[in-house]
Amino acid sequence: MGDPFWLYYVFAGAMLTVAAYSLGLLGLSLRSSDPVGRDIDIAHLAMGTAMAGMFVVHWAFGPAWFWEAAFFALMIWFLVRSAQSVQQYGLHIPHEGIHAVMSLAMVLMYLYPMGATGAAMSMSGSSSASHGILDPGIGLILAVMFFGSAIFTLASPHKGSSHHGTHRRHALVYATAGASSAVTATPPESNGGIAGRGVRILTAPALEDLSHVMMCVGMGFMLILML
Amino acid sequence: MADTTLATTDVRLGLEHDAQGRIAGPARDAQRTFRLILATVWLTDAVLQIQPFMFTRGSNGFSGMLHGMASGNPGFVARTVTWNASIVSHQPVVTNALFALIQFVIAFGIVYPRTVRPALALSIVWALGVWWFGEGAGGVFLGAATPFGGGPGGVLYYAVLAVLLWPHQGPDEPFVAARAVGVRAARLIWVGVWGLLAVLTVVGSGRRPTALHDLVTRVESGQPGWLAHIDKVSAPFLLHHGTATAILLAAVCALAGASIYMAPWFMRLMIVVVCVAFAAIWIAVENLGGILAGGATDPNSGPLVLLLALLYWPSRSNVTSSRRVDALAVEVAEV
Repeated sequence: MGDPFWLYYVFAGAMLTVAAYSLGLLGLSLRSSDPVGRDIDIAHLAMGTAMAGMFVVHWAFGPAWFWEAAFFALMIWFLVRSAQSVQQYGLHIPHEGIHAVMSLAMVLMYLYPMGATGAAMSMSGSSSASHGILDPGIGLILAVMFFGSAIFTLASPHKGSSHHGTHRRHALVYATAGASSAVTATPPESNGGIAGRGVRILTAPALEDLSHVMMCVGMGFMLILML
Repeated sequence: MADTTLATTDVRLGLEHDAQGRIAGPARDAQRTFRLILATVWLTDAVLQIQPFMFTRGSNGFSGMLHGMASGNPGFVARTVTWNASIVSHQPVVTNALFALIQFVIAFGIVYPRTVRPALALSIVWALGVWWFGEGAGGVFLGAATPFGGGPGGVLYYAVLAVLLWPHQGPDEPFVAARAVGVRAARLIWVGVWGLLAVLTVVGSGRRPTALHDLVTRVESGQPGWLAHIDKVSAPFLLHHGTATAILLAAVCALAGASIYMAPWFMRLMIVVVCVAFAAIWIAVENLGGILAGGATDPNSGPLVLLLALLYWPSRSNVTSSRRVDALAVEVAEV
């Protein structure tokens, strides 16, 4: 009996679902004047697409160097945002921090697609730097961090904080309004009707957190596969 | 004074901001935080369960792993383990998917207040089942359940932790573990756990240098370079000083068990000592449960022992109250 390929398809499908969902959120965000959470949507879109290609080889596209550069840029972006958050609100763990770590993990997975035990992610067009292997200790630490992030995100009383943080004025507004901060300037569709209901469901804070949890579990699983 | 009046609290989010607008954050529920850490370990276990080789038959698959647990055990244990292994061998995909699903359910169930109790109850049943049917009772009946190798079975700690982290309102005094079961029962559990570990360290093959050496060599294959280097030190060390190390660990465990009836500072000291000792064992002997070699289903006992120990960390107010009692005793004595 070979590898459980169906499992890879399940995870690849889940990653594509997260990517599609993030694309939807990004579309709504672009129609509003508020950029809060937009960076997370872009990151999840890129990560979901790239991860799907890692799980199922013929779903992969684009050269590895492009993805490496994209995730490196995202990592720098989130590191800067984290530093700004700490500067502004004092010493705490900013929600951008975990996204910086996730971007780092993506960079590492592209740089070292071969696991220490010889197991490889099914990524096509792997980097020229792929001769080395990722230390499984680093892979395990990252995986456990993502699992922890998934659990603590679900447990957080601040729904939607995986996208918008807990200390944003938007979160304050929408915690009481029961809506997501991604649509601060309410789009016309949300005024009523089926489209409005669709927007409300799409921007539900719990759904935003769920997409983060799926991404964390998917990424953690890929790292475990690479051990 | 002026600063404190400027501090604000956002009732809606439960966030406190100080005078500079910095986040103070809501008060943390230590028991819940520990529970979420336990859930994280369960989630790690669940994902380890869906590694590709776990869905396969044969000696390198899950059923082969289970079969290995039966060897050497007395008949009444070996038969149950073999029975379990044969079911897994017949339906490796279905059974492993089911096993993984149960662990996912436990991990995510612990998160929500409405499901935390059923999830913890399920985790106790599951842990005991895995201990018997999957781990051959942790090698207890073989006399090979040394804590150096994770004895009496890493999975048993999940059950103990589930009991100690059972949701219960109240203060975390004198330590978090007392909140669920009360101070008296929590102390008994602590003494029982460390007493058992002390005994298991020196009985059977637990104090035999060759057996301890073999614990390391058995798991060193496929480990990354840095861990293989550590093994090159720990394996010969245990071969030459295994008995002395086992006796030392037994003494530390016994002292840790007794420390719960002593001063909080001593309790803290012993918690630090056992945390360092079991972290070292987890890395240098258990090799992190073999996860880094890509063939493990759980991280073994190391992180769970640490979590258990930290549940008994004496609270600040406990120190204050103990000092107050001491001061009162002095005053009474002087009168």
